[in-house]
Amino acid sequence: MSSRTLVSRRVITIAIALTPLALATTVTGCNRQTTGTGDASRPRIAFVMKTLNHPFFLDMKRGAEEAASRLNVELVVQAAERELDVEKQTQIIENLIQTGIQALCVTPSGSKEIASVLGKATRANIPIVVADTRLDQAAAAAANVKFGTFVGSDNYEGGRLAGQFMVQATGGQAKVAILEGIPGHETGDSRLRGFRDAVASSPGITIVASQPANWERDQGFTVFQNMLQAHPEVDALFAASDLMALGAVEAIAAANRTGKVRVIGFDALDDARKAIDAGRMLGSVAQSPHDMGKLSVESAYKLIRGESVPADQKVPITLVTKTEGR
Amino acid sequence: MNTGKARSTSARQLGTLLGLLVLCCVLWILTPHFLTVSNLLNVLEQSAINAIVAAGMTFAIISGGIDLSVGSVLALSGIVLASVLQAGGGLPLAVVLALATAAACGLLNGVLVTLGRLPPFIATLGMMSVARGLALIWAEGRPISGFEESFRLIATGRPLGIPSPVLITLVVYGLAHVALAHSVFGRSVYAIGGNEEASRLSGVPVRWHKTGAYVVCGLSSGVAAVVLTARLNSAQPTAGIMYELDAIAATVIGGTSLFGGEGTLVGALIGALIMGVLRNGLNLLDVSSFVQQLVIGIVIIAAVLIDTALKRGRR
Repeated sequence: MSSRTLVSRRVITIAIALTPLALATTVTGCNRQTTGTGDASRPRIAFVMKTLNHPFFLDMKRGAEEAASRLNVELVVQAAERELDVEKQTQIIENLIQTGIQALCVTPSGSKEIASVLGKATRANIPIVVADTRLDQAAAAAANVKFGTFVGSDNYEGGRLAGQFMVQATGGQAKVAILEGIPGHETGDSRLRGFRDAVASSPGITIVASQPANWERDQGFTVFQNMLQAHPEVDALFAASDLMALGAVEAIAAANRTGKVRVIGFDALDDARKAIDAGRMLGSVAQSPHDMGKLSVESAYKLIRGESVPADQKVPITLVTKTEGR
Repeated sequence: MNTGKARSTSARQLGTLLGLLVLCCVLWILTPHFLTVSNLLNVLEQSAINAIVAAGMTFAIISGGIDLSVGSVLALSGIVLASVLQAGGGLPLAVVLALATAAACGLLNGVLVTLGRLPPFIATLGMMSVARGLALIWAEGRPISGFEESFRLIATGRPLGIPSPVLITLVVYGLAHVALAHSVFGRSVYAIGGNEEASRLSGVPVRWHKTGAYVVCGLSSGVAAVVLTARLNSAQPTAGIMYELDAIAATVIGGTSLFGGEGTLVGALIGALIMGVLRNGLNLLDVSSFVQQLVIGIVIIAAVLIDTALKRGRR
């Protein structure tokens, strides 16, 4: 076979391989026509999230979209395939900077690692709104990041709320296990600190085990199953997120101990609310991701227009329990 | 016969290159943001880490093996680098120790495959978990971050306006090319991948060179670790998850056969660029990450389908 036919065959098949790309762009092209009418005066705001396969961030996205349509801004929402992947998130932001966005909202996948690329955004004169997870101060300063505002819940306060509820619900007597998020993440660390501080004053409450389950449901299941093996005396659990709590709830059911281990989670996901109603969980700390998304886009809009925005904006935190949940 | 094979190899590379160019043209038509100097430099910089890992992967795959541990070795090597830097050991020592760690992992992979007679898939699958575990234990699960500006220049520097990760990639490919195409070691790697038994019978020190291929693969993960750590100003024990699949994909898109004995570094480089350009373009076009995964998966399958079809045509 001559090399020319080889090449031409290759080109044909590559053309076929590129068909999905063409399809994908036609689909999004249509989207862009409906959302952005090519009106240059409409500001373009990017929102880069940790992931888009978690209900929390989907709620945040919905809030952001509502604000965007009300303010008549073009909103681009993107996220890496995996929540942990700061390098991918960095790449996405670099790419979005190329498209001439006027403001950037971001929920950092790593509060230190994301600083480098936010430095690039600062150099491109793009105002930055950080949502949900705080930036590491030192890393931000080292990369010359100028960020407009932080929008998020006070995770420390949320952890304290969970801790106080634990004390109240157990009458101050409990052997507590903790499921942590990914170690070294500001969000999870703050929740744990809040929780520990709140229960520290109750001598009847002892923390017998504390291990990471990396925010994931299946890991929540296995890690808690192992904890129950190692510490059968455990009768209460604080999970730094509902997904982990829900995994643990299944492990508790598998061990026939439903109701005997009191579970408090964080995020008040729909599934967690159902579990609370069914008595499988005691309570969950509710953040308002919807409000977070909304406030982020509104702040970005103000920053574009040169209006002043407070440096720190707290979104309210509440406790969801069976009595007050409905 | 030899020249015929050489011609078909270069024809295939030309095909992959054409694929890259077609992709670039499509993106150029679809978005005004693609074909700008700053965006192209951006794509090159983003493709650098995958390209560097893919260079080493090419050696492992041509030798008839595979290395699934590259992402974990990258994480471990990054943690070593960061620890030495933070302990005040200085940049040269930190880099040397990081590369030595990565090479040692590769050496162990090679020894397990040759002396231990483990299938490469199993040996490196084990190493994938071992290196990840070591990285997590050493770093206590936390990222190590905050380094001096002099170190960060490895990723942020722009000599002659070109991002330094791109220059590092070129140096890696230059050295790897000499090793693969112009040395006894390189020729042996091809021979072993083509027919291990025949190589052994004709006096090629199979175990020695095969182990060498894994050391090169580990070493390239180490180089990638240095670049990634400088880029993020942080070494994470969870870095590099799934990088092995990206590197295998780049290698395979570039025409390297998973059965061994065939493949080129230029192909791997173009493969890494195709993946980088695809991701960049899909971002520029506001395509969601879910669709991106779909598209990249289809491109990988299509590229391999082509190779299989071409091989059948040649026979």
